[in-house]
Amino acid sequence: MELLNFLLLGFSVALEPANLFYCFIGVVIGTLVGVLPGLGPVAAMSLLLPATFHTTPVASIIMLSGIYYGAMYGGSTTSILVNIPGEAASVMTCIDGYQMACKGRAGPALGISAFGSFIAGTAGILGLILIAPPLVDFALKFGPPEYFSLMVLGLMILTFLTSASMIRALMMAAFGLVVGTMGLDNISGLARFTFNIPELLDGVGLVPVVMGLFGISEVLLNIELKVKREVFTTKVKGLLPTLEDWGKSIWSIIRGTILGFFLGILPGGGAVIASFVSYAIEKRVSKHPEEFGKGAIEGVAAPESANNSAAQGAFIPLLTLGIPSNVVMAMLLGALIIHGVTPGPLLLSQHPQLFWGVVASMYVGNAMLLALNLPLIGMWVQLLRVPYSILFPIIILFCLLGSYSINNSTTDVAIMLVFGVIGYLMKKLSLEAAPMVLAFVLGPMMETALRQALIKSKGSFSIFFTRPISATCLIIAIALMIMPLLPWFRRRRPGVKLEHEDVT
Amino acid sequence: MKKTFLINDLVWIGFAFAACYGGLKLGFGSFHQPHAGFMPFLSGLVLGLLALVDLISGLANRWRDEKKDVEVWANINWGKLLLTLALLFIYTALFSTLGFVITTVLLLFFFFRAMEPRPWWVVAISSVTCTGLFYLAFKIGLESQLPSGIFGF
Repeated sequence: MELLNFLLLGFSVALEPANLFYCFIGVVIGTLVGVLPGLGPVAAMSLLLPATFHTTPVASIIMLSGIYYGAMYGGSTTSILVNIPGEAASVMTCIDGYQMACKGRAGPALGISAFGSFIAGTAGILGLILIAPPLVDFALKFGPPEYFSLMVLGLMILTFLTSASMIRALMMAAFGLVVGTMGLDNISGLARFTFNIPELLDGVGLVPVVMGLFGISEVLLNIELKVKREVFTTKVKGLLPTLEDWGKSIWSIIRGTILGFFLGILPGGGAVIASFVSYAIEKRVSKHPEEFGKGAIEGVAAPESANNSAAQGAFIPLLTLGIPSNVVMAMLLGALIIHGVTPGPLLLSQHPQLFWGVVASMYVGNAMLLALNLPLIGMWVQLLRVPYSILFPIIILFCLLGSYSINNSTTDVAIMLVFGVIGYLMKKLSLEAAPMVLAFVLGPMMETALRQALIKSKGSFSIFFTRPISATCLIIAIALMIMPLLPWFRRRRPGVKLEHEDVT
Repeated sequence: MKKTFLINDLVWIGFAFAACYGGLKLGFGSFHQPHAGFMPFLSGLVLGLLALVDLISGLANRWRDEKKDVEVWANINWGKLLLTLALLFIYTALFSTLGFVITTVLLLFFFFRAMEPRPWWVVAISSVTCTGLFYLAFKIGLESQLPSGIFGF
């Protein structure tokens, strides 16, 4: 009954005209960046973060969340019609989606992708509602050692799942930790690595770092590519899947939804990993695995469902523990902090309208997305024809003005450009930016938790191993670190490209 | 020899060394009472050790699993890339002095013209229109404090 009251509160917040408007803007922009290759949800969220400064925290998070799950919907369109994933979580959809389109079945592929996404998104929200409140009670038992160990585990899972070498992924995480220490020390107030630049006293901003690493670097990479996009010019028709299609896909959708949701909750997990794993599982359980890669509708339904439910599941660690499980959630954490809201176990009791408002807005957003992605599919296809020579100066300008308007400082713009160059070089050298960004965000929290725990234990590291939750997290983290060293495992390590948004 | 990856590891080792040195200068403290340099030192140490392991394993197997130098740096249009970066840094440097309108029109003009050959008047109209739309969105819509510059607009 209490849950119902909270949901009613959530809907009363989500259905306020202003919040409805921001939800709509969020899902439209999300679909747009999902459709357009080269600009992913992370870059879009960092671009629009400054735009939310003038709104309420609820409206801000509603819009930014809408961009995230909207991009999950939109990403499938380019995968199916152009064989280029609009964003990283749609890479697997390319394989069978494009083959279906080649066989004249683009309509059912787009249809099952949208319906699967809707079902999974809705089920994911239900999971969020049911799991988040009990987890809050559990999270209240967390002290500095538990927080530190959980964040170590999150980073370890993320680096473990990267496609690049695990050592290099860990190097990037360590680099992120160093960058995260810039600015005033939380405990002593001492300025660290500020080089007498007053703007650096608050540390390096998340938005310039993310915009540089994901936005500017992507543009710099695209300048050198000569990609010819072949868009299906014939009219897409028959969007409603047949009964036979539904029969083939329904279990894939259910499996993808459940798997995606739990992989989304996992620290370091997320939509990208969920879509890869669900595709692999679907192929394994299928009675006709030979059809995968040749236009199997299950190969579209499963990853699309998984990435959408993972997008909802990823909110759980952020909203209950205050720990972002991936880079997108790190952006949302940044947004919450900017608005003076501290995510964590107390969020639910201190800001119930925010928590339940955001959850309810996801229902509303999912319904909006279904309407946007099915009847308006033709409009999104037209957008794919915008030449990159027009698109890229506009993306750059958004990045420049977006990072400037946070503090009205050109220092932030310069920082963004520097990280743009770093991001470009990192991509050239197959170094992944996702562990760096997550470590950069978690760094200050990790440092505070580590120092508090050590002060509490009088300098003894045993505090991390004598407390059950902390010990469990660290043992799993150590196991993940050791596993790639084992020769038999090295051959089987599941690597996922985490932020490559434009596979060309 | 794949110099790119060798240089890459050496750069990270250098960066790690700088972080450790900076951490020590700030004051490491002790495990019992960690100071401001504690985390930078530890992170730098981890980064340095990992880069060293990567370097040693790379040297041991002659970077067998890596792309060749020419593959890493192939297909790069250095002219366009450096021009884009130079324009962006110049734009940032002049942004406050010349103001949003002038710098943005000039930046867009260069980009639209440099990326694809189009008639200059089309480029000029596109640049002015785009700048106007961004001005409306950021200055009017979002009330951002975009600089007016020495000319006052």
